[in-house]
Amino acid sequence: MPQDITVADIDVLVVGGGLAGVYAAIKAIEAGAGNVVQVDKGQVGKSGCSCFAAGVMHTYFPQEDNLEDRVRRLVRAQGYLAQQDLMASQMEQSWPVTNEMADLGVDFVRTTDGALERRPGRGSYPIISFYGPQLMDAMGKAAARKGVKQVHRVMVTDLLTHDGQVTGAVGFHTRTGDFYVFQAKATVLATGSTWYKGRMPGHRDTTGDGYAAAYRAGAVLSGVENNDAPTNVMPIGRYDIGPGMNKFVGEGGFFINARGERFMERYNPAMKERAGLRFLVYALCMEARQGHTPLFMDMTHLSPEAVGRLKKVLPLAMKMFESVGLVVGDRFVEPVEWMPQAPVGRPGLVVNGDFESTMPGLYAGGEVCAPQAVVTGLSAAATSGAVAGTSAARRARAVKQLPPDSGQLAELKRHTLQPLERTDGIEPDQALLTLQETIVPYEVLLLRHGQRMTRALEQVEDLRDNQIPLLHAYDPHYLRMAHEARNLTLVAELHLRASLMRTESRVELREDYPDQDNENWLKWIKVRNEAGAMKMFTEDVPLERYPLKAERGRSLNHLWQMAEKQGIVTIGEGGVKWA
Amino acid sequence: MGVRHIDVGLCNGCGICVDCCPLDVLRMDGASRKAYIKYLRDCQGCFLCQDQCPEDAIHCVALYEKRIPGAW
Repeated sequence: MPQDITVADIDVLVVGGGLAGVYAAIKAIEAGAGNVVQVDKGQVGKSGCSCFAAGVMHTYFPQEDNLEDRVRRLVRAQGYLAQQDLMASQMEQSWPVTNEMADLGVDFVRTTDGALERRPGRGSYPIISFYGPQLMDAMGKAAARKGVKQVHRVMVTDLLTHDGQVTGAVGFHTRTGDFYVFQAKATVLATGSTWYKGRMPGHRDTTGDGYAAAYRAGAVLSGVENNDAPTNVMPIGRYDIGPGMNKFVGEGGFFINARGERFMERYNPAMKERAGLRFLVYALCMEARQGHTPLFMDMTHLSPEAVGRLKKVLPLAMKMFESVGLVVGDRFVEPVEWMPQAPVGRPGLVVNGDFESTMPGLYAGGEVCAPQAVVTGLSAAATSGAVAGTSAARRARAVKQLPPDSGQLAELKRHTLQPLERTDGIEPDQALLTLQETIVPYEVLLLRHGQRMTRALEQVEDLRDNQIPLLHAYDPHYLRMAHEARNLTLVAELHLRASLMRTESRVELREDYPDQDNENWLKWIKVRNEAGAMKMFTEDVPLERYPLKAERGRSLNHLWQMAEKQGIVTIGEGGVKWA
Repeated sequence: MGVRHIDVGLCNGCGICVDCCPLDVLRMDGASRKAYIKYLRDCQGCFLCQDQCPEDAIHCVALYEKRIPGAW
């Protein structure tokens, strides 16, 4: 019989067991928090994306890199929507954090003289490498050694609030069905991003749970309309392999289309496959739109030494290749089919420099933050998690625990366990498939048009109103799947609504609005739940306070310019026409 | 998807795979003290169980078991 379990007197509650969560927990302890509890719906250190983070980290090397140039590239990639002060501090902090991780037991790949080995990846600066499961195993154990209490297999569904402050969280055990109440002076969300459970192993447990809980509690979210950079391109045509893009192109892999053309030579002669991720995603989409699929990455020319290096830092992906006969011994035997994975919408928490959200008592680290505050990847996960944990510990010292509201608690419990109580209804998988078929095709949220997004939004609303309320779970495992489907449906609605609102092509391409509009859209789109209504509003990016300025005016988006020059599209009244 | 087979002859019942599975697909059989695949359709094919098994008892294949829509 499932029990009610209350965990009281928590100083800092950390939700999520990836690198941002582990870092937040460690730093909360180091900042003096006595009782730090870290909860994960899987196992701390084995769930989320950190464990599968493709073996690369974008660490800034103070002796070798130009800090200003690195920050400028990040800000430009975000179309000047970045919180520039946070970008700079994350980049700067990535160096000490990397060294700290090595001290805590992470085995980074090193040169023969013991220095961190830098190798080419995507982008202009070389990356450092490691084996994801080893990194997270070491970091999870380091947190436990420091006294963090880790609670595994408990999915947090909602946040507890008291007069607009966050006072903990509720959830359930995914094996026993026990209902959990966590009472905390400060709560850190570190629940990562979401990929709509798309075709990529290693990312199907990040289901926007933190976004959804924060939205329902009343926090302000932002940035969802810009697909996060890792709307990745993956070896996911027929097979179920990934991630590892950075390493594959770094070792010399290149794309070919169905005609055998190395199309990146046309799209980006300077960088080719090492172009920015968004550039690659759109290049693949444009090839698809012209009927040049299937697309492949050719690695058949890689040397046995290169394949050996890949096996060292990407053993999981390389075993996947071997399991379907694409790698035999130390060679790739044929090109691997590749496509963009699902769009990545991050309706992230709006945070300040302390990584405190708009709700007192609620902090955020890693990709659960708005994309303008935290770039994707492990170094930003670690640096932002560290600040969030420290800030949460500071609050825990200053406030008293507020008691839970018994009415709210009863309502959250009912809502959390409801799918278990239905004897019939809709299976989570059925709802998920409907959602994926609506949102994953590339012509919805990659190559965008208002009409197509409006149609998709109607389908998501139908799912929200007619399937999600009827979700049924056979057991606590399926209860998790039901909540994941519910949270993803909410994320999809936010994703589509905000994307429709942004009537320009800035970081994403719209066929009906091909210009980047720096007159009207140097703005953040924000959203808040106001008594059940999705209230969306905009706020000017405070560029006057930031060192890097965007030129005012309107101009055709640079990717559309490239496509026009190639003769792929023409631009006229009403937008883009495909040749 | 992914996980295809756990060799009960090799499985030593250590439970590492049951603990590490991000999607909670595997369980320990109470009577035999061997791991088994309980929720196959939720497997994400990450190969972590195969990688972490100290006895090489787990076999995974990078193919889909269920339909997941792709970009095209």
